[in-house]
Amino acid sequence: MARMLSLFLLLGAALQLSAQAPAFDEYQVKAAFLYNFAKFVQWPPGTFASPTDPIGICIVGQNPFGSSLENMVQGKMVGDRTFVVRRFPDTQQASQCQILFIGASEWKRTRALLDAVKTPGVLTVGESDDFTDQGGIISFRLDGPRVRIKVDLQTAEHAKLRISSKLLSLAEIAKRQP
Amino acid sequence: MSESLANRRARRRIAILLARVGVSLAVSVGVAIRSSAQTSPPRDLTQFTLEDLMNVQVISVSKKEQKLAKTGAAIFVITQEDIRRSGATNIPDLLRMVPGVDVARVDHSTWAVSIRGFNDIYANKVLVLIDGRSVYHPVFSGVIWYAQEMPLENIERIEVIRGPGGTVWGANAMNGVINIITKSAKDTPGGLIVAGGGSDSQAEGLVQYGGKIGQTGDYRVYGRYANLGKSDPATFAPPADSKRTQEGGFRSDWNLTPRDLLTVQGEVRLVDGGETTTGVIFQVPPITATFGQPLGDDDGNLLARWTHRYLNGSDISLQAYYDQSHVFANGAHNWATIGNIDFQHHLRIASRNDVVWGLSYRAGANRFSGNSLVTLHPLERTDSLYGAFVQDEISLAQTLSLTLGSKFEHNDYTGFEIEPSAQLVWEPNARHTLWASAAKAIRQPSNIDSGLQTISAVQPLGQGLYGLVTVSGNPNTKVEQLRDYETGYRAQISRRLSLDVTGFLSFYKNLQTTEPQAPFFNPAGGYLVIPLVFDNKAHAVSYGAEAFANWNVTDRWKIGPGLSMLNMSVTRDATSQDSTIEQTPGRAPRRSYQVRSFINLGRNFEWDQTLGYTGPLATGNVPGYVRLDTRFGWRWGESCDFSVTGQNLLAPRHAEFPDIHFVDHMQDQRSVFGKITWRF
Repeated sequence: MARMLSLFLLLGAALQLSAQAPAFDEYQVKAAFLYNFAKFVQWPPGTFASPTDPIGICIVGQNPFGSSLENMVQGKMVGDRTFVVRRFPDTQQASQCQILFIGASEWKRTRALLDAVKTPGVLTVGESDDFTDQGGIISFRLDGPRVRIKVDLQTAEHAKLRISSKLLSLAEIAKRQP
Repeated sequence: MSESLANRRARRRIAILLARVGVSLAVSVGVAIRSSAQTSPPRDLTQFTLEDLMNVQVISVSKKEQKLAKTGAAIFVITQEDIRRSGATNIPDLLRMVPGVDVARVDHSTWAVSIRGFNDIYANKVLVLIDGRSVYHPVFSGVIWYAQEMPLENIERIEVIRGPGGTVWGANAMNGVINIITKSAKDTPGGLIVAGGGSDSQAEGLVQYGGKIGQTGDYRVYGRYANLGKSDPATFAPPADSKRTQEGGFRSDWNLTPRDLLTVQGEVRLVDGGETTTGVIFQVPPITATFGQPLGDDDGNLLARWTHRYLNGSDISLQAYYDQSHVFANGAHNWATIGNIDFQHHLRIASRNDVVWGLSYRAGANRFSGNSLVTLHPLERTDSLYGAFVQDEISLAQTLSLTLGSKFEHNDYTGFEIEPSAQLVWEPNARHTLWASAAKAIRQPSNIDSGLQTISAVQPLGQGLYGLVTVSGNPNTKVEQLRDYETGYRAQISRRLSLDVTGFLSFYKNLQTTEPQAPFFNPAGGYLVIPLVFDNKAHAVSYGAEAFANWNVTDRWKIGPGLSMLNMSVTRDATSQDSTIEQTPGRAPRRSYQVRSFINLGRNFEWDQTLGYTGPLATGNVPGYVRLDTRFGWRWGESCDFSVTGQNLLAPRHAEFPDIHFVDHMQDQRSVFGKITWRF
């Protein structure tokens, strides 16, 4: 019995030694994507009151990032703009958000939240399988251990957002049926 | 002199063993510390390009786990990985990994499966659904497990809810619900061939193909054959419990519009097997003998489900199915035809209410043909079951929700029944959930409860006189009732460790008992008839806990420990004379523990084990047993998988359940099974 136990432990040690490169937390990677979206998306004129207004990233509902999103964008700039991370219980104040993230935990009310975004210039990002079908612009998907993104160009156009071809070339484009 | 030498040697051996264990432990811990030091702090992800980010590998909590974290009930999900790496070749073996589920193999074709006690081959307190179709047989009030065969490769997941589980489920979800969900046809494109063989004449072959139908539809079609030989003659004589399955089926899923989904699926199945039975074979004079008897099942079903999503986020679904089955055992036959239709509407009212309500209707026509031991009154019968339910999930606050609901059912035996339930869920943050629930549930009466007529035993009374014990159903049967109170805690403790704990307290009332009536002499047969009649004169209290954890020890090694504890006491009512009902708690173990380990050995090798202890059964003196299963898997290229599984490796054989309902138990044997899977 003890022999079996020591065998298991040795195996455990062997596995640690042979472990592959460290993997990241899913939400650290998604936070990095949100930061990058700001570099590859152009907002319509009139979105910002001044050239130095910060880019607002809003998390609606439960926050799956913990502190990793704030830590990641603290002190970073895109052009002359810094970042500010806000949390809201719903999308009533979507006008304060340039990037609006709705987590998978809000799956029951995602459509209602998206429908309540009335102002253009809000890049809506989500995680549920049908996020783009429900009116979202970018959705995250896990393909095995890797994060993939899907973009709905029509909704982006409707929100007056221009997405760089660099980002589009790496994304899956959502097919919209009439 | 020689004594102290032996002692010294023994001590030295122990010391060496301890040293070995100690060294391994130290090495493990040392390496663990070092490699965790290596993984923190992480490299700055903001320096990564978009391409880099697309290539990074993540560890994640699945979205389904996030949805499940909000459930106010004790739920366990068996995933595709759990299914594949368990090495199991049938559904009851898969259910062994779920804490709170009691699985006992009676013989090669027969299983006793229940949740939180009351185990029996006709365990009647658990609802089992396959894609929304109930496989709880309304006549026998239980699940005929030997008829539940299907390709395990097509299972998307199995959700097991212990406890009454809320209002949305259909009739007879008293101690729990086992919901088997198959993959959408969209997820099984292409060809699949599986071939397997093993000890005890095990053989399995599956051929399946899936493709598209036009622009918006997907389909799959399969044919499957499975064979299992008799138990080892050394374990019991004469074993007759072989089983052969032939089945075929299809599933099609259509996205008629972006908002409409239609699923149509069906299958046909023939199962032939046998069992060893001990029963009365002559009535004048009555004698008992043990012999093999055939058993089997022919069944077919067709199911269609339509889901429509409205623009405002609400959705409706309509499901209808037709199920025809012919079950036979020991010369008795039952033909059952069931038609069922279900409607459900899910909508939000105001901003705080998430409401689901529904209606259902089931019509069943049944015909029974008995043997010398058992018959049913009446032999032909049709039954209707009407159901409705409503459930409202109210957001009391951002982190607190209260779900109130009730099921309403009307059956042909006892009329109108109401089953209310309430659940409170508190999520102080994304990592922790605390929930509590209270519910009332009932078990719908069945044809057996009201109309059974069977000879259950022969008792020699001396001087050439025999007593024949008979059991009869009761047309005035009542519903068994449960009041259930539960609480649970779920936590994502760290990126690598999650924990789920549930405690429950259940009060049962009107449990079925068998009450002796006045014996009378049958002069024609020359024996004394000792009649027993069903009644509902017992109550019970049961309490316990279930816990399980998922621990990603390293990126390649995952372990899943689990445990269940059950303390049940059954007491007969003051007016009852049932002498055996108080032994009911002895049909399930008081304690069970299990650990599963999945190891990815790199270069496409997998090594998986399950080690479990199941406590003894007081009824039938079945001792507790430890069971070890192990599986080696190897993926060759993109499309070929090989696996070899050894089951029950620690002992050549062990018993899991006593003789029951005329079926003589066999002992579960050590076995080996190999499988090749080819996808193209």
